[in-house]
Amino acid sequence: MAEDALLSGIRKSFNIGAPAEVEILHGIDITLEHGAFCALIGPSGSGKSTLLNIIGLLDRQSAGRLVIGGKDTQGLDDAALTRLRGETIGFVFQAHNLIPAFTAAENVMMPMLLSRGWADAAMRAAAEALLDRVGMTRWRDARVGNLSGGQAQRVSIARALMMKPVLVLADEPTGNLDTAAADGVFDMMHTMNQEQGMTFLIVTHDPRLAKRCGRIIELVDGQVVQGAA
Amino acid sequence: MIRWLPFEGIAALRFMREGWIQTIFILVGVSLGVAVTVFETSILTGVQANFLKRVLTSQAHIVLLPPDEVARPLHDGPGIVEDATLQRPNQRLRSIDQWQTIRATVASTPGVRVVASVASGAAMAVRGDATASISIIGAEPEDYFRIVRVPDYIVAGTWRLTSDDILIGTDLATLLGVTVGDRLFVTGRSPTPRALTITAIFDLGSKGANLRTTFVAFRTGQSLLNLVGGVTSLEIAVADAFAAETIAQDLSARTGVRADSWIKTNAQFFTAVQAQNTSNIVISSAVALSVAFGVASVLVVSVVQRGREIGILRAMGARRGQVLLVFLLQGGVLGFLGAVLGSLIGAGLLLVWHDQVRQTDGTELFPYVLDPLLIGGTLAFASVVGLLAGMAPAMQAARLDPAVAIRG
Ligand SMILES: Nc1ncnc2c1ncn2[C@@H]1O[C@H](COP(=O)(O)OP(=O)(O)O)[C@@H](O)[C@H]1O
Ligand SMILES: [Mg+2]
Repeated sequence: MAEDALLSGIRKSFNIGAPAEVEILHGIDITLEHGAFCALIGPSGSGKSTLLNIIGLLDRQSAGRLVIGGKDTQGLDDAALTRLRGETIGFVFQAHNLIPAFTAAENVMMPMLLSRGWADAAMRAAAEALLDRVGMTRWRDARVGNLSGGQAQRVSIARALMMKPVLVLADEPTGNLDTAAADGVFDMMHTMNQEQGMTFLIVTHDPRLAKRCGRIIELVDGQVVQGAA
Repeated sequence: MIRWLPFEGIAALRFMREGWIQTIFILVGVSLGVAVTVFETSILTGVQANFLKRVLTSQAHIVLLPPDEVARPLHDGPGIVEDATLQRPNQRLRSIDQWQTIRATVASTPGVRVVASVASGAAMAVRGDATASISIIGAEPEDYFRIVRVPDYIVAGTWRLTSDDILIGTDLATLLGVTVGDRLFVTGRSPTPRALTITAIFDLGSKGANLRTTFVAFRTGQSLLNLVGGVTSLEIAVADAFAAETIAQDLSARTGVRADSWIKTNAQFFTAVQAQNTSNIVISSAVALSVAFGVASVLVVSVVQRGREIGILRAMGARRGQVLLVFLLQGGVLGFLGAVLGSLIGAGLLLVWHDQVRQTDGTELFPYVLDPLLIGGTLAFASVVGLLAGMAPAMQAARLDPAVAIRG
């Protein structure tokens, strides 16, 4: 089976003021098959965000091998990593994901705007289709500051899908939503996974939501204790 | 969405609009700085140009005079000085030797526009009981008035200079209680006074000149000064006023007479101009520096405030260079918009100043001219200063580690 992400022996140390180095991730091996819908759980401070940032090419591992979308990231420079990230990975973060100076539709278009060369009409059509799909057509031209937390996360999901990524990384996307809104956002991601087949890796604290995922990876103190395979 | 711009331009403008309070404050700062610079520079160039024009139309560019008479030390033998205390002799009214030949030489010198023969000297004007000591300038108007534009300064009458006519200044007219059409008795070095008719009264803009200077025909001047056949000076206008000193030195070397250029006789004017221009450059540079630091500090704060947004943009595929441009452009746009507003304010101030501040005689102190080169240069310079000021904050933004930025 094709995998979207392959991690082997990933370690991450942070340099907390000269000689002291603290290792946060102690050799992580994970394989994410194409189309998987995975939860990443674990106590606060166990290294979930750090791991997600490494997989999303926002941060670099201190050691270990990382293959994203079939491409080994070893030796890629910042520009190449940025390009690979733009083409293959979508992100949804916890609240305040969107750029307030832009409308909902403009936020969704942002990845295409950044990558250039897209016709205006194509961008608008793609953004509108996605906003429609997440039920946000009415708020297309809204300032994002006027959206509720759940609405903003739906827009964020639409934006994450804009470049048709193979992998969507979501770091506590329902973290500060009430249960109903959280369910709605989670359902939306699940539907997208079912319909469009991209892989999801979702960090969550909510065991109820984690249980609805096809696979649960548990991280404790920088080590995978469950669900690595 | 403004789609005629690439992402960086849109983001720069949107960020500036979103932080409109900061944007307005810094724009006010930039535009006041630019306004002061535009205002100051325009007044300076205007006043200088006005003064220059006055100088160049009210005196010859080069005056050829007979060489100074000097006393030489008395020598007993080689190296032995008998009496070294020298007293400068009185300078007599003398004609230039061989002036016709010199005049021909001058006329054929490249760069010379007009040469006029002048017979000038002191005289006495009498009208009834009133007398005044005057200076008469005898010259052929068709040459001389192309150098000194007396006709431009006429305030009463129509000038005409036959051998029995005289043009006098406003203050002399008041002093003697005369007006156009009246006659004056003028006595020069020749003992016989001549009755001359006042055909016009001029105002040269200076009380001294208006009181003393008079113009008569060349031959009238010669006969009044007992200089028949001679000239006291040859006066020259050149095509390029700023080449006057070079031409003067050349003429002096070739003819052996003294040649004074207006540049030499107005040396303190040039020193003053230089001092003014230097101080203007210092002020403008200080303004540019404070504009740069103002823009930079606003952008530094903005980069810090937008750290998380920058991280998110990076996560969505924004390259470092794109982030850099977003902030660099904000600097450039702030500089440019500030310069546009500042130029408008400066132009307005200049207009008010031009209307309110006048010379003592009520004429304008400086012409109201906005040099397009000055405005264009200011816009370009301010934009570049803004871009440069945006450099440090933009690099700070581009260097942000996206993982750290998103974590907040
Ligand atoms: N840039 C960093 N510098 C130093 N320590 C860091 C940095 N990022 C994360 N950490 C530390 O790494 C540990 C794991 O953090 P994180 O990955 O955010 O955990 P989680 O997302 O599971 O709550 C924490 O102890 C945190 O303080
Ligand atoms: Mg976390």
